[in-house]
Amino acid sequence: MPNGTNPMDTADKEQLKLERLQSTLNRAYKNVPFHRKRFESHNLTPQAIGALEDIEKLPFMKRADLGLHYPYGLFAVPLRDIVRIHTAPGTGDRPSISGYTQADLLIWKKLVARSLNACGVTDMDILQIHLPAGLANWGRDYKDGGELLGASVIPNSMLSLSKTLMVLRDYKTTTLVTTLAFAEQLTDHMFERERHPNELNLKRIILVGEPVTKDIVKDLEARLHADIWQHYGLSEIPGPAIAHECGDHCGLHICDDHILPEIIDPATGQTLPAGTAGELVLTTLSARALPLVRFRTGDMARLITEPCGCGSPFIRMEWLTERADDYMIISGIKVSQEQTAVYLKQALGISDPDCDMERIRLNGTEALGISLVLDDALFSDEIKNLEQLMFTTERSLTENLGVPVTIRLMQKRN
Amino acid sequence: MLRIKNLKCSYGSITAVHGVSLSVKKGELISIIGANGAGKSSLLLAVCGLMKTWSGEISFEDNSLRGMSPPSIVRAGISMVPEGRQIFSPLSVMDNLKMGAYTMYRKRMKAEVEKDFKMVLSMFPILRERADQLAGTLSGGEQQMLAIARALMARPRLLVLDEPSMGLAPKIVDMIFETIETLRNQGVTILLVEQNARAALKIADRGYVLETGKMVLQGSADELLVDDDVKRAYLGQDYGDFYDGRGN
Repeated sequence: MPNGTNPMDTADKEQLKLERLQSTLNRAYKNVPFHRKRFESHNLTPQAIGALEDIEKLPFMKRADLGLHYPYGLFAVPLRDIVRIHTAPGTGDRPSISGYTQADLLIWKKLVARSLNACGVTDMDILQIHLPAGLANWGRDYKDGGELLGASVIPNSMLSLSKTLMVLRDYKTTTLVTTLAFAEQLTDHMFERERHPNELNLKRIILVGEPVTKDIVKDLEARLHADIWQHYGLSEIPGPAIAHECGDHCGLHICDDHILPEIIDPATGQTLPAGTAGELVLTTLSARALPLVRFRTGDMARLITEPCGCGSPFIRMEWLTERADDYMIISGIKVSQEQTAVYLKQALGISDPDCDMERIRLNGTEALGISLVLDDALFSDEIKNLEQLMFTTERSLTENLGVPVTIRLMQKRN
Repeated sequence: MLRIKNLKCSYGSITAVHGVSLSVKKGELISIIGANGAGKSSLLLAVCGLMKTWSGEISFEDNSLRGMSPPSIVRAGISMVPEGRQIFSPLSVMDNLKMGAYTMYRKRMKAEVEKDFKMVLSMFPILRERADQLAGTLSGGEQQMLAIARALMARPRLLVLDEPSMGLAPKIVDMIFETIETLRNQGVTILLVEQNARAALKIADRGYVLETGKMVLQGSADELLVDDDVKRAYLGQDYGDFYDGRGN
């Protein structure tokens, strides 16, 4: 059995989850003032959590909390214990920082290996990782997990499309970890150049970053002659492969021995009964450096309680395409519209820029398209100045959001 | 095999264990580590029926241990090697072993007891040499071996060891840990409470870290061995400066 996939019965797993939840809460309460205050404001101590369901007594944690406690305010261990620091775009004008201890990295490596193994990846595979800069953190995690399985890993590197295709073909890649946007771009590129997918040794593509509908999966599988598998992850912590598809391809198995899922009504915050669609809320059960307690992901999902045909003990979820927040997913990277507006304001130097945002295709890849109303505050009779302002704004937004940004000016609204 | 949920133990108004949950599966070697006063021994006393009042749930092989007397817990399959050995000093080594087989004699399993004598004496040859000697005259390491052998005479399905390395020379400690590892390899399920965190985790499958009566960490032994919290729990050190010289 590969790491972490030992079968366990339900009672054992429930006990393990409770043990891990309780010690996570003890550590969070003891070491993180943010968590201690939240317990105290509800007149609770971690001892009040005697069963998994008791977690409902605790308040939610939001993405904004990570920014408010920038950079290290939510760490539950001294900085001395942190061996890796990651940055995610965050929500306001501050990024979200996450940290990992040695033990965190070890556990996470095992979980990524488990998720890869569930897709059939073994030490006989050649695993190529192609993720955009904004998901570079995940690239490192997939590299570690793949290496643990003994696969030959081609780590994430910023290559051109044709070079990536060359590596894919010549290095006999069997498994590609990438985003939907890139898989589509790659397919178009191959077909434009009349390259046949049979030239590749590709057996499977693992798509990360956003839910993909069955139609798109079918289309990609037919065009690339490879199976598509989906993985779910968080860009904050702990990382990718929180949930993975199994051979039955009916939902994603959540690694719920390390991450506790809940589904809530995004409007009221009420926990919803199993099987109902709602916002996915996650609590880390083994993270040392940065425990998340009832973290609202903004992702919509439905938990599937019926056992899976594959025999996996891990609970499944159906990952839904709608969202509970204002985020857009561009090349698998979550982009907050609220945060984009903050950056836009800063870059343009005006108080309330009027704009629309959409996901667009730019030179074959996905980008954030901003249609900006050219109003009096922005207008300049020097076209050159305006062009320069748009150029610097695009550059600043691209840097801060981790996705390509293009701005189009439009007339005043009627 | 052993499942503990939300265990609370108090001595009068002082609470030693604050809602601890832990589990031991069949065939596992589990270590509980923590500094002095972390609540390790209180937890074991509750498991073995030696603590009168506790709240929460303790179940062994799906049966609750609530209200069970220590002898009935031994009969259910849990034997303890207590802290400080607690051998019967005025009795001979052989008589100490016979005392360990008390429940077996009660079950009229004399032939089985003879077999067990052979087994423990071949496991601890030094005890064969000292068979007629008074237990109180043995060295510390020999006494520890006797305490383990005595516990094994009850044919436990779960062997509970409380600080087996305490007060022993490093060389003897290594030997005791080797013995514990051998027992695990022979299929005995073991719950080991130790202050010697590194040594205990090296032979354990999983471990739990107790701090002032609360469970603060658990995980596979390899995860805990790289964890800085383990060092702190073992040494009883508290968090110093958060930045601790970094980034300055």
